[in-house]
Amino acid sequence: MVSLARKNLFHDRLRFVITVAGVAFAVTLVLVQVGLFMGLLDKSTVTIRHASADLWITSRNTPNVDFARTFPETAVLRARSVPGVVRADNLIVAFMNLQLPNGAAEGTLVYALEDFGAWNLPWTVTHGSPQDLKRGYAILMDRSAERRYGPFAVGEQREILGRRFRIVGATAEAASFTTTPIVFMDYRNAQELQEQLRGNTTYVLVKLAPGADAATVQSELRRRLPYNDVLTRDEWARQSRDYWVKSTGLGMSMGVTVFLGILVGIVIVAQTLYTSAVEHIKEFGTVKAIGGSNLDIYRILGEQALVAAVLGFALGALFSYVARPLMAGIHLNVLLSPGFSAVVFVGTLLMCLGAALFSFRRVATIDPALVFRT
Amino acid sequence: MNNTVLAVTNVTKVFDEGRERVHVLKGITMDVAAGEVVALEGPSGSGKTTLLSIMGCILTPSSGELHVAGVHVRRADEAALREVRRRSIGLVFQQYNLFPALSALENVEYSLNVRGTRGRAAQDEARRVLDRVGLGDRAGFLPRDLSGGQKQRVAIARALAGSPPVLLADEPTANLDTAVGAQILDLFQELAASERRGVLVVTHDPKVRRIASRVVGIRDGLLVGEGTNAEEAAA
Repeated sequence: MVSLARKNLFHDRLRFVITVAGVAFAVTLVLVQVGLFMGLLDKSTVTIRHASADLWITSRNTPNVDFARTFPETAVLRARSVPGVVRADNLIVAFMNLQLPNGAAEGTLVYALEDFGAWNLPWTVTHGSPQDLKRGYAILMDRSAERRYGPFAVGEQREILGRRFRIVGATAEAASFTTTPIVFMDYRNAQELQEQLRGNTTYVLVKLAPGADAATVQSELRRRLPYNDVLTRDEWARQSRDYWVKSTGLGMSMGVTVFLGILVGIVIVAQTLYTSAVEHIKEFGTVKAIGGSNLDIYRILGEQALVAAVLGFALGALFSYVARPLMAGIHLNVLLSPGFSAVVFVGTLLMCLGAALFSFRRVATIDPALVFRT
Repeated sequence: MNNTVLAVTNVTKVFDEGRERVHVLKGITMDVAAGEVVALEGPSGSGKTTLLSIMGCILTPSSGELHVAGVHVRRADEAALREVRRRSIGLVFQQYNLFPALSALENVEYSLNVRGTRGRAAQDEARRVLDRVGLGDRAGFLPRDLSGGQKQRVAIARALAGSPPVLLADEPTANLDTAVGAQILDLFQELAASERRGVLVVTHDPKVRRIASRVVGIRDGLLVGEGTNAEEAAA
């Protein structure tokens, strides 16, 4: 069967290139922007996802994992006494100032535990070992800190809240949502640094016994710790993510970007398809005169829109996937999942078909008698 | 007349143009028989293209009757008119109206696709009619690479595809030089005679009379004269 749609599309190459480029631009905009957004959000829950805790006990209404608040560290004892809990430990997460060799000060996010190995924190150690944190005032510093603090080497010293710490190792991928590098240190050392941390913790990590029912344990913990929140790993990750999405306006700004991307795509595809339809109006009149229906013409326009959508998506996805390692080189994490790409693909098809509807209205009114006009 | 493939009886057409009602056709009765070429002549504005559109089931008459290939076409819905156009009518236009992006073969094949013939059958039929109009060796050419006469032959091939009993041509020689125009007219005459099609040619061109079995004149929406040959019509 002859495809008048594709033949016309490829016959007018410039318009075809503009249409596909428009779709590709919209797809790239949506994929990269949302990928950046997802990459950022991924950081907001990076420690929650890597820590091997099934439940997190937090102070009441803690908004996200970075903005921790203190509560008495004795809560951990009550947690340990709950049936179904195989292990529970205190975790301190706190912003502190770190003195740089040049005299400047930078913020750092301190993660402090008594036994890091038991909780899979830190999850990627490039130098040294978390066990070395027990040797006096020692820290593991994340490599991402080099962008903020300048280069550092194992064996050097840094001052945190007036106390000198020796860098005994380095980690990777441990940076907060706000890009503040994470420093790991012993729990007691962290408590020494800030008055408000003495006798207090910010979280209790809970590991369930094999076969224990998470909901039952969670409910019992809530009963015994009425002034705390007890959240599963997924609930806590969602809450942390939602905080950044809703309270910072990031979600709205991303929504606007996605909307603009779709709008650009619709305008370009609709405009090029519409002008193409107008320029081919006599051809469509001929289709009707030789026995074709409006449906035949809708199929032509619809097929053109779908071809533009498929090729535009392929090109846009290619750009986005190629851009990902390049952007990683400038420390921008673009997170592209096959699932999200599939959603964008379906969205692209709908966007292009929606754009074709504008042309449908125009061709529906074609008078086939125009074929006799010169 | 058993031979009649196209007949209009007392057909009128009125257009509403703002507050005015324009009577373009004022009661036309005529027919075209299988195997004959009828030339419909008249000045601009006489109503000949409107009559052609009604005969081609593109417009519906305000009153009167239309029969195409034995089918009484009532003031039917668009789907029924479309079906008559698909089965029974081949149209040839002054401007050829070929699809520029399609080759000669594809132009014909697409017309068959629209009429419901697909795949190999459509390709074979398209090649057959292109050969019939002497353009078998130009099947792969795009319209822009064909001369005016060749384009009109492709348009005729497209009209022939599916073997409709009626061919309607609107000023088919208007854009062609004399020699090429004469070849196209000869082709119409041959198609009418050898394939028993009824051919109606709307024209300003007096040279069409050479091949016409009958010449019908139209002026101000009324038939004004008919003859069986050029001399009679001219008289």
